[in-house]
Amino acid sequence: MNLTGCLFDIKRFTVHDGPGARTTLFLKGCSLRCIWCHNPEGIRPEPEPAYYAHKCIHCGECVLVCPYGAHEMEDGIHRYHRETCAACGRCESVCLGKALQWYGREMSVEEAVQAVLEDRAFYEQSGGGCTVSGGEPLLQADFCAAVFAELKKRAIHCAVDTSGAVPWEAFQTVLPHTDLVLFDLKHVEDDVHRQQVGAPNKWILENLRRLSRCGVPIEIRVPVIPHFNADEHSIRAIGEFLRELDHVTTVRLLPYHGAHSKFESLGLPDLLSNVASPDATRMECLAGCLSHVGIPVK
Amino acid sequence: MIATLQDTLQTDKEYLRNKFRDPVFDESTGLENETIKSDIQTMAEEMKGLPKPIIKARIFEYITRQVRIDVNPRDWFVGFACWNRKDWFFTPILHQWRDEVFHACSLTTPLRRDLCASGAVAMWPDFDHSVPDWDAVLELGFSGLRERARRYRRGKQTDGTLTETAAAYYEGIEITYTAILEMIERFHAYAMKTADGNPRVLAVADCLKQLRHGVPRNTFEVLEMIYLYFMFGEHIDHMQVRSLSNLDQILQPYYKRDIESGAFTEERIREYIDYFLMQYASINNYWGHPLYLGGTGEDDRSRINDLSYIILEEFDKLNITSPKIQLKIAENTPERFLNVALDMVRRNNSSLVFLGETGIKRAMMSVGFSQEQAREAVISGCYEYNVKAREVGTGPVYLNLLKPLELVFNNGVDPMTGLPVGCRTGDVEILTRFDVFYRAYLQQLSFLLDASFRCVDDFEQYLRDINPANVFSATIENSLKQAKDAFADGSVYNTTAILHTGLATATDALTAVKRWVFEKKELTLMEMKCALEENWQGYEKLRRNILNSKEKYGNNIAEVDHLAEAIARFCANRINLRPNARGGFYKAGMHSARTFITLGEKTGATPDGRKRGEEMSKNVSPSMGMDRNGITALIHSANRIDSAMYPTDYALDVMLHPTTVRGEEGLAALRTVLRTYLAGNGASIHFNIFDADTLRDAQKHPERYESLQVRVCGWNVRFNDLCRKEQEEYIKRAEAVRESTQPEEP
Ligand code: SF4
Ligand code: SF4
Repeated sequence: MNLTGCLFDIKRFTVHDGPGARTTLFLKGCSLRCIWCHNPEGIRPEPEPAYYAHKCIHCGECVLVCPYGAHEMEDGIHRYHRETCAACGRCESVCLGKALQWYGREMSVEEAVQAVLEDRAFYEQSGGGCTVSGGEPLLQADFCAAVFAELKKRAIHCAVDTSGAVPWEAFQTVLPHTDLVLFDLKHVEDDVHRQQVGAPNKWILENLRRLSRCGVPIEIRVPVIPHFNADEHSIRAIGEFLRELDHVTTVRLLPYHGAHSKFESLGLPDLLSNVASPDATRMECLAGCLSHVGIPVK
Repeated sequence: MIATLQDTLQTDKEYLRNKFRDPVFDESTGLENETIKSDIQTMAEEMKGLPKPIIKARIFEYITRQVRIDVNPRDWFVGFACWNRKDWFFTPILHQWRDEVFHACSLTTPLRRDLCASGAVAMWPDFDHSVPDWDAVLELGFSGLRERARRYRRGKQTDGTLTETAAAYYEGIEITYTAILEMIERFHAYAMKTADGNPRVLAVADCLKQLRHGVPRNTFEVLEMIYLYFMFGEHIDHMQVRSLSNLDQILQPYYKRDIESGAFTEERIREYIDYFLMQYASINNYWGHPLYLGGTGEDDRSRINDLSYIILEEFDKLNITSPKIQLKIAENTPERFLNVALDMVRRNNSSLVFLGETGIKRAMMSVGFSQEQAREAVISGCYEYNVKAREVGTGPVYLNLLKPLELVFNNGVDPMTGLPVGCRTGDVEILTRFDVFYRAYLQQLSFLLDASFRCVDDFEQYLRDINPANVFSATIENSLKQAKDAFADGSVYNTTAILHTGLATATDALTAVKRWVFEKKELTLMEMKCALEENWQGYEKLRRNILNSKEKYGNNIAEVDHLAEAIARFCANRINLRPNARGGFYKAGMHSARTFITLGEKTGATPDGRKRGEEMSKNVSPSMGMDRNGITALIHSANRIDSAMYPTDYALDVMLHPTTVRGEEGLAALRTVLRTYLAGNGASIHFNIFDADTLRDAQKHPERYESLQVRVCGWNVRFNDLCRKEQEEYIKRAEAVRESTQPEEP
């Protein structure tokens, strides 16, 4: 099997990505451009370096290895010129301050499966398993399906964390091996969605409707973003939409938290840099808007 | 009458806190402490030549007769003016006796001094690990213990085996226990005199009257008895009482009877427990006062009972660092109990340690103890498991696993002190391959172990001459039977623990040598030696690269973990079951107390990137901040080492980020860590849960974080009480935790 996937992280002992203690594989590349993205390093499909300026110790090691002159020392101060970087990957490993981080690594199915299996003892104790997330994991649906198929042979619980913005075929590829779908639902109104997510939501909603007829349990996750959907109206509308669906086991409201330093490290603009996280009372109030839907809210 | 008293803890708390910090005593009750101290010096002089147990008992008697006392309406427990554990009355006398013994050990004393000075080991005659036979204490009472000792003495007299030494042994107990009973009488008389109708003082008087002649009959009397024994044993007789018993089991029958008979309400019993716990919070022994809960009964069912919950709940309510509570955990431990305990851990880092019964069983059976003995094991000190009422395990040596490495680089000579504490393994130039280097390390290690054995075997023959255990011996039946000091060699099992410090750091350092010197050939061994001598100055790039490398113990990297296991096994094989000087044997232990700091101060820079004087790893935990692959990797690493090789104890510290443990999932996550570790090879584990920002804020605003606790080793301290340097270390570690295990915030 020489199928590979492009991952930007593997997180172990994740406890909020499905049941039990899990290993989450973060796949690189996403079809949406949510302005509140909390994993911006997962947006672009191709591998890329990130530069965390506050960690730099200005040692100049990176300057020595970069064939494109993207690193420069000026009066003992290091500067990184992203425009000239060709993402060749040479500088990360020599960085003494761990200021340079590489996001995106090709991994074979076997490697990914091995990485997941390492923590088997923890899944057994907790009823956990593996979650693929991202980015949008279903952009690499074949890879996910292949990893899951191997894990299912060993009876490991498999979950997909998706934005739903993928062709239905991608779902069809992974569903036979999937025990749970974590489905991100941001807004049910198309115009608002287009504006903030950078894509229409029709096909997302359509995918969710089809998914709800497949019998796989679905957990709906709503990122609660101020000025976007952190109001009663938006959340109630989501609730109304969910009423029609089967197999939705839980709705989870996730308060927005900024990822400012990540945006900065990738040279991306953080449009929400001044937005505060919704507080606990707000979250409770919004949860109340879903109480009539008949689905447990977390 | 008692039932009409109301909940007074709030109003008494201030008094209780100060009881052992700044107490005021009625001067008419006795002499000033300083007077007593000088009197007993004279007494010791005058009695010179008499058997030590008798000298000690006479002085004990003098203290109990003369010291000021209190029975206070704000307390359920009586007050002793000789409360100060940093200023025990016996200290100067025992030091003198100890020096006499060192003088007698003329062959090993210089060796011991050098070993300690070089920081190769920390070593001293240890008297800090006595646990009385609590069942006997409560079943017999003080007078019953004295009576039992008399019986054994008469038996020896009748069959003509009462030697002079044996007679002195029994006489020491006779005088001591008579003094204890007299002092209780004194407390009682004082209570009656000052009660002035105060119902609580009268109730205490009643209790004292009972304990003067008989055995405790109810929950309150049991607690008072445990406290009295503790004060007599630790604060007067100068021998640490390293467990306040498995309190839930001990109290359960009394509690049941009290509730059923209506003698006490549950609220009242909770109040007694609060006041009991507050005594220890106030004494504030830096190392904490241990007690343990839970375990498994003969019927294979969990022993968690009502009292287990009550004690935990009250402990939680008080938010104190001492006592420290150890929990014996097995498959059968109710989830509800785990949840209560783990919730306490995540809310305020309570000083709870979790010990797996499977691990205890495997460890104890590995040195020949039975399953039954393992099941009933007493937890003493920080994490140690001992055979109940039959084993005294001393802990005279902490071995610095980094020192042998320094000795290899310097051909047996400690670089900082110039002391030749190691053996000659040759100049570094001849260590041309890693296996040769590694063998040299083991040679040095072995050499230090042998030197330690020699010293300990020498001074441990004389423990009874340094500090005869009059109070303790009377509780141990085997000691009475044989007329031998229970702490020195009168227990059935007289074991000696060799404890370890720096396993992870030594592993990381050896790995660095292997990788950077012998494989990557980035530098020669000689250059590495220079780098270490220069304390890495001028080698910052190399040091950073080594520090940044994940090839450290704790990251689930098989090659590295196997090396840790190999070192651990090497030590364990040399230590376990080796005969000691007390008719027992040595046992290896994997805990470091405070030596990860103190021995670190005496150790130069090491190849893992550690600088001179910095702390090293403790217990079976990774070097500070080096476990970068998260909690699961750390557990895998720790589980690669067989905890049964360490029959004294085997402890792992883990640090988790608060976001990992919040909510119901978080509680389940903690349970998972605990269960997975214990189901693997683990033995003891405890948790530190905080993030770097909180700690930094606590540095800035200590007043807002009065109750923030951190785990040092086998005990907790308030973060505010740590020195700046130690605080920084915790922050460093917490930062590493953020990088590796903090889940993404959506
Ligand atoms: S990734 Fe390659 S091109 Fe980009 S900065 Fe690093 S070394 Fe230069
Ligand atoms: S190697 Fe890293 S730390 Fe050094 S100058 Fe470059 S970015 Fe900064």
